[in-house]
Amino acid sequence: MTSALVADSLTKRYGRRTALKDCTLDIPAGHVVGLVGPNGAGKSTLLQLACGLLDPTAGRIEVLGTRPVSGSPRVGFVAQDTPVYAGLTVADHLRMGAHLNPSWDAALAEQRIAQVGLDPNQKAGKLSGGQRAQLALTVAAAKRPNLLLLDEPVAALDPLARRTFLQGLMELTAEQGMSIVMSSHLVADLERVCDYLIVLVASQVRVAGDVDDLLATHHRLVGQRRDTVDLGAGRALVEQSHTDVQSTLVVRSTAPIVDPSWQVDQLDLEDIVLAYMSGAAGNGPDRVLEGQR
Amino acid sequence: MIWMTWRQFRTPALTTGALLLALMGGLALTWAEVTDLATQTGYTGCQGDACLAAGDAFLQALQPGWASEFHLAAIAALYLLPALVGIFWGAPLVARELESGTYRMVFSQSVSRDRWLLVKLAVGGGAAALGAGLLSLMLTRWAQPIDGASADRMNPLVFAARGIVPVGYAALAFMVGVTTGLLLRRTLAAMAVTLLVIVGLQIAAPFVVRPWLAQPVVTVSPLDVDGRYGISMSPDTGRMTLQVEQDRRGDWVVSSTTITSTGAEFNGPADMTQCGPDAPRHRETCPRWLEKQNLRQEVTYVPGSKFWTLQWREFGVLFALTAVLSLFSLWWIRRRLV
Repeated sequence: MTSALVADSLTKRYGRRTALKDCTLDIPAGHVVGLVGPNGAGKSTLLQLACGLLDPTAGRIEVLGTRPVSGSPRVGFVAQDTPVYAGLTVADHLRMGAHLNPSWDAALAEQRIAQVGLDPNQKAGKLSGGQRAQLALTVAAAKRPNLLLLDEPVAALDPLARRTFLQGLMELTAEQGMSIVMSSHLVADLERVCDYLIVLVASQVRVAGDVDDLLATHHRLVGQRRDTVDLGAGRALVEQSHTDVQSTLVVRSTAPIVDPSWQVDQLDLEDIVLAYMSGAAGNGPDRVLEGQR
Repeated sequence: MIWMTWRQFRTPALTTGALLLALMGGLALTWAEVTDLATQTGYTGCQGDACLAAGDAFLQALQPGWASEFHLAAIAALYLLPALVGIFWGAPLVARELESGTYRMVFSQSVSRDRWLLVKLAVGGGAAALGAGLLSLMLTRWAQPIDGASADRMNPLVFAARGIVPVGYAALAFMVGVTTGLLLRRTLAAMAVTLLVIVGLQIAAPFVVRPWLAQPVVTVSPLDVDGRYGISMSPDTGRMTLQVEQDRRGDWVVSSTTITSTGAEFNGPADMTQCGPDAPRHRETCPRWLEKQNLRQEVTYVPGSKFWTLQWREFGVLFALTAVLSLFSLWWIRRRLV
């Protein structure tokens, strides 16, 4: 499988502040990839490095096999808060896209603008947050990139606008077949559109994989309290919590778990992500006794 | 990219263009007035010594009309234009994109950052140079009889509103605005700093840069004690300085100082019995006393014939600074921005 984005010990520092530290990951092409993680995990920095807006301080990054530079026709980017030119009309934005991109798909752009109900003569500064996001997505998509990067595109939108936006995004991927990497700190947003998920915590990949695989291989085990757990080969403990009488584990296992002393439940995607995000906070053996959560 | 540049640039460009056009229209309408008056007063086609008187009459006749108003307005415009161009064209060019975050949108199109900036610099700087150049060209032509009659075009105030120097100032001011916007990343702060830099430049140019560029001629001649000069002295300390009037028509007198035989600047002390209010026949005794002091007059001046040499030199310096700032900002946007 080819890679859309490869990072190797990627580091970005702003003066003394480190925004991304030693990040190593490999994002396969041909997917709608959700990049999820807490605020400050480095998602935004990673995406801006990937579209060439930022230069890495150290390490290596390759996007579609080359070092990213801004102005590449193969990579599209919708920045956080979806900036648009307030003084330009919707139609002006499309004209800008047509003038600045040799691969511009005018038919797609106009069709999308009509579809989401934007008035071409309206100034972009007067658009609502949701309409602005739609406009930014349209400009990025009509460029027909091989890889489209979206940085928290729906973070500022209300639930309805969020759904409309994600709906539009899904239609695009179905029609255009471009690879998409989209960051968010809300799993619910990603669950609807992504088929591949990466959990990034403090610049490190906690888990990455097909959404279906993740759902099939993660289990919640609930049983009598025990301080040490031997899960056996091929199984990994993601997160554990204990009360006085009961232990709850989140376990990754390809094989089904048949131990009768555990009650085994399925997890939804949000549970899995939360397990990785909280499990990353500290994985020392003393956590077993502390009885967190 | 040219379309995008024009789309973002057209409002300030058309506003400035309209102002320039209004001024140029005014000059065009008063063109006939200037040439008619020059003919009526006999300045046009005058011969030899008659020109001085005819020129004075011509300038007198111009005073009450619209022509002199437009003359002043056009000079003022050529001084204001760099500040306007720097503040309203240059400073927001990059700073506003950085401030509003739209740089992330435009840099995600299929156009590289340096090309984006290069086109903007070419269009904005070119328009600034063109506007200043057209107005200056027209004013220089329009004011030809006036400059001839007044012999005043070497005057530092007039000099920067004639010929090609205004082109250099407009282009440099634009680049100063762009560069400060790029470095400060805040439109308002960039505008303020740009204004300070441009005004500082316009003040520094005649006092520091131009004398250095012009390589003035220095002459030392014995003081003509019976000539025209003014004396200022303080009776308490005896401190005394002379202001000798220079009859250097058409030249730019940079400095004129009275020096003693050792070469030091003369400032007294005066002999109170010969000079000053206490001397009874001061008008006769003072020149005699001064004569004995062996004073000389040192005059530093730039001959009027060097007008175009100096124009080209100053333009060259401004152009070189503009080029340096352009290269710097292109390098910065590629290597150092965000």
